[in-house]
Amino acid sequence: MMLLNKKDVTKMLDLWSHSFEVYAPTRYNNEDVVLLPFDEKNFTMDYLNMAMPVKEYLFEQKESLYNWQQSEAGIRITEFDAESLKPRILFGVRACDAYGIAYLDRFYIEEFRDHNYAGRREKTYIVVVNCIEPGYNCYCSSTGVGPFAQKGYDLMLTPLGDEYLVEAGSDKGKELIEIGNIMDSIGEEAIELKNILKSAVEDKFLNKIDLSYIAKVMDETYNNDVWKEISKQCIACTGCTSVCPTCTCFNIVEEDSCYGEKCRVRYWDSCQSDSFTRNAGGHNPRSEVSRVRYRIYDKLKYIEERFGFKGCTGCGRCINVCPAFIDIIEIASKLKQEYKYDIAAMKKNNAAVRFEIHTHDQEHRCENAYKPQIAVIKDIIQETRDIKRFIVQYEDETLHENYKFTGQFFEITIFGVGEIAISIPFGPSQKNYFDFCVKKAGRVTTAMHGLQVGDKIGLRGPFGKGFPYEELKGKDILIVGSGVGLAPVRTMIIRIIENKKDFGNLAIIASATSYEGLVYKEDLLKWSEIDGVKVLYALSKPTDKVDAYVGYINDLLPDLGLEWEKTASIICASPRRIKAVAEDLIKLGMKGTDILTSLETHMRCGIGKCGHCKVGNKYMCVDGPVFNYEEMLTLPPEF
Amino acid sequence: MTNSIEELSKADVIFIIGSNTTEQHPLIGMRIREAVLKNNAKLIVADPRRIPIAEHAAAYAPLKPGSNLAFINGMLNVIVSEGLANDDFIRNRTEGYEEFKGSIINYTPEAVSLITGVDADIIREFARTYAKAENASIVYAMGITQHITGSANVAALANLALITGQIGKEASGVNPLRGQNNVQGACDMGALPNVFPGYQSVLDDNAREKFKAAWGENINSDKGLTVSEMMEEAAHGKIKALFIMGENPMLSDPDISHVEDALKNLELLIVQDIFLTETARYAHAVLPGTSFLEKDGTFTNTERRVQRVRKAIEPVADSKPDWEIICALFNAFGYKADYNNPEDIMEEIRSLTPSYGGISYDRIENCGLQWPCPNPEHPGTKFLHKDKFSRGLGKFTVNHYLDPAESADDEYPLILTTGRIQHHYHTGTMTRRSWALDREYPHGFIEMNPEDGEKLGIKNNNKVRVISRRGEIETVAIITKNIKAGIVFMPFHFGEAPVNKLTNRRFDPVSQIPEYKVCAVKIEGVK
Repeated sequence: MMLLNKKDVTKMLDLWSHSFEVYAPTRYNNEDVVLLPFDEKNFTMDYLNMAMPVKEYLFEQKESLYNWQQSEAGIRITEFDAESLKPRILFGVRACDAYGIAYLDRFYIEEFRDHNYAGRREKTYIVVVNCIEPGYNCYCSSTGVGPFAQKGYDLMLTPLGDEYLVEAGSDKGKELIEIGNIMDSIGEEAIELKNILKSAVEDKFLNKIDLSYIAKVMDETYNNDVWKEISKQCIACTGCTSVCPTCTCFNIVEEDSCYGEKCRVRYWDSCQSDSFTRNAGGHNPRSEVSRVRYRIYDKLKYIEERFGFKGCTGCGRCINVCPAFIDIIEIASKLKQEYKYDIAAMKKNNAAVRFEIHTHDQEHRCENAYKPQIAVIKDIIQETRDIKRFIVQYEDETLHENYKFTGQFFEITIFGVGEIAISIPFGPSQKNYFDFCVKKAGRVTTAMHGLQVGDKIGLRGPFGKGFPYEELKGKDILIVGSGVGLAPVRTMIIRIIENKKDFGNLAIIASATSYEGLVYKEDLLKWSEIDGVKVLYALSKPTDKVDAYVGYINDLLPDLGLEWEKTASIICASPRRIKAVAEDLIKLGMKGTDILTSLETHMRCGIGKCGHCKVGNKYMCVDGPVFNYEEMLTLPPEF
Repeated sequence: MTNSIEELSKADVIFIIGSNTTEQHPLIGMRIREAVLKNNAKLIVADPRRIPIAEHAAAYAPLKPGSNLAFINGMLNVIVSEGLANDDFIRNRTEGYEEFKGSIINYTPEAVSLITGVDADIIREFARTYAKAENASIVYAMGITQHITGSANVAALANLALITGQIGKEASGVNPLRGQNNVQGACDMGALPNVFPGYQSVLDDNAREKFKAAWGENINSDKGLTVSEMMEEAAHGKIKALFIMGENPMLSDPDISHVEDALKNLELLIVQDIFLTETARYAHAVLPGTSFLEKDGTFTNTERRVQRVRKAIEPVADSKPDWEIICALFNAFGYKADYNNPEDIMEEIRSLTPSYGGISYDRIENCGLQWPCPNPEHPGTKFLHKDKFSRGLGKFTVNHYLDPAESADDEYPLILTTGRIQHHYHTGTMTRRSWALDREYPHGFIEMNPEDGEKLGIKNNNKVRVISRRGEIETVAIITKNIKAGIVFMPFHFGEAPVNKLTNRRFDPVSQIPEYKVCAVKIEGVK
């Protein structure tokens, strides 16, 4: 532990400035204090907190994911290079914002590594100065994150009289202490003083609320009328998410001239925009009530369940800025009041609330998961009026040699237009080329439909949790594909047929409004010829092309001749249809855990960062899109 | 506004008519909600659509588009007949009361109810709530001005404030919510056909003398033409050239087929704008101006506050700040415009505009000042008309109800009212270029009551064709209960389905404002 005299702070910042870019709290003209390049004249230590959280130094409001250029030589992609960044110190960060960084580190760097964030983070040193005066809307003592920092700092300063007590939180912090050698060391007795001060500060909070069982309370109050009231107030200004230290969502757009080149850019986005979860067909799984409720649930429940970090640091900024007076602490109090169980009794009986943290160890195929690989269109087949199949191959054919068959979908880039998630319809035996089935629905798919053989696209992936092939061995299999939903399940059909001896009977039901609306019609005919494979059609309109049943999928189920206790089923259809079929299958004797589905929501990044596909505490692109029916029922009905 | 924005949170009654406040002026809407949620204020809202702020209203009146004057006169009638008038105020600070009183005898709640479609008792409730308040504020916007009786509607609101003495004191007054960031400033500077800066009439000899002395003997000081009159004259070939600055009449004027004819008929059209708008496409020359980020100056907001706008980036490409372009034009015409910077212009404004007399850049460095601010020692004016009105005594006026220019009939059975939505601004030149805003509403729509939807066989999200006597457009139907049967609503932000192809070229006789809020249409489904 070290001591730094308060009078020496500017000297310390000066000394650091020789090898770092130092950002310090700055006040111009009686305005709000913000973090700006250190300038002694306007530097101040007289502030409660800075207007914005410091996340914008690591996760910028607008930044290029990559630049690209198309020439005769082909398409060249340039990514962000943190090498050119000078190391920087963010000085004066409060405990709440430092915790935010700790969470952002977990969020952006682990599982898939966010190239831009990780690059900047390495070059960034966080110096916390602990608060001794809580603000009007602060409640970090209630979230357990403050008033003194516990996570997210390289160096921490605690004001004790005329001095700052200085503690290093990492090697980077130790590095900072040694510069200029102007700090004095002090013994462990300082800890006692620090703890006394901490209690004194905690007493000063105006807002105190017990949030220890809030996740359980929220489970029970999901459909409470209080949400209708609260959601009526919100005007979707997205102020709350802009000022939040733990908000991480972004949107990706293609821009034409970004400093002269074309680029794929990401901007901060907000789940509080009505269109955040709207998909290309116009369907929005979140209503106004869901939208407003979702932010509170994410902050007080889902983030912690998924990542093991508090989603809300208690900085109070969202309460400060909201023009509709929506107050997350007021809401939490209201919910606790509505909660009919006795929390005191629960506390006596239970130990700490347990939850499962879902993490994934991912093998990264490429350094930067945002950078696409170039692929060439080799063939295009018109399947139906608005569905085409694209046969593509990596431009660099060695990528096919190293290709590992995992995942459930690829992100296909149409350069200059955008990117979409398309499920993998092929099996592992199809190694040297990929075959994608794409329906024309929005802007990007329409552009893709306009491409020719020889044109180039980008591929990222494969991503997503795929079907559990090994677990299905030895069982009878029922596969149901509705419309273009047959494409995502085709991958399993192919694999099962190629290894038929490992499986029991296979029944396939293909459904659409008309025969013309079906995809892979040739394959369906081929498959019906195979021993042990049954192919049935459930259509809304009759046809003379095949022997089709005119009516619902459900009607065909009882006579399939499958041993229901030994059957596994894969259904790919609309959420309503999935539920209807699953319920009937369970009645017939199937287990919910043996019914699998692929939940395809609006996706953007495909790697669990942008937030668009998050349902409850799960990311459809990383925790799914394949779920079993029982897991699906635990998700809030927002997909 | 006669008062300041922050005073709204202190009013105990707020009467909103013709303003979708939370969606169009969200921060003013916030003050009003603060008043209701935290200070127990009573909110009374009159609007053909059940706008979001009506959720907080103690009383809501779904009046028919165009019936505003009948509604307000009905309130006045109740105030008179129930003895709720503020006699002291009337005696000491007004004139013309007797004549006015006689003119509203027939606007009984029952009679008014027939015209407005609002229950007679609700009209009574509005009147009583407003009259009995300690401090009542009226909030209005285009919903009552964009009518052929728009001026009369505002005059009637003034009558309301005068008869109850709800003016000239804190949190009590008549508050128009101006839309563009500097429309107040533009009007203050005399961008109007009949006044010099500071609303000094061009017909007033003293004013003429003053401005001739400042700007030269030969300045044109005749009364000019309004926008609507200009389009008319252009269409008839009487006006040969138009200089249009920061305005997009090809989307925002009524009856845009006529606008197109007018613009095509010109010998010379010059457009100064920051984007190549629908109007600019007809121009012979386009002068690229700069946005708020690229220039210095001041904007004057709806509460009369003059605030600094400061350049953050250099003008993009070869665009120029608007003042520089105009100076260049002056010089080209042979008149020496020797301003070095916007502050020089402010100094000139101060010297010629009494209400801006004390507003200089150094005084508004940190915080703006509200006019009237006649001299450098004056602190600015929070609310107007404290001891006397600009003309001395407040004048009651007689304003008789007139039906809108076009009513529903057998051929065009629905009333179309137009307006704005939250995420887009006017003709969308800025907002439709922002992915975050455009993503919310990427295309237009028409709001329709379920009854009408059923009658016409139209379901939510169906494509429809909307037809009026002026033209037709295609758009998407949104079925909602927030609008009454017989009335439909369309926003005007979407150039690919421009609602002003349908609107009516009929104007208020005093201000020449078009009746955007009422015209007759018919709707059919599109396969």
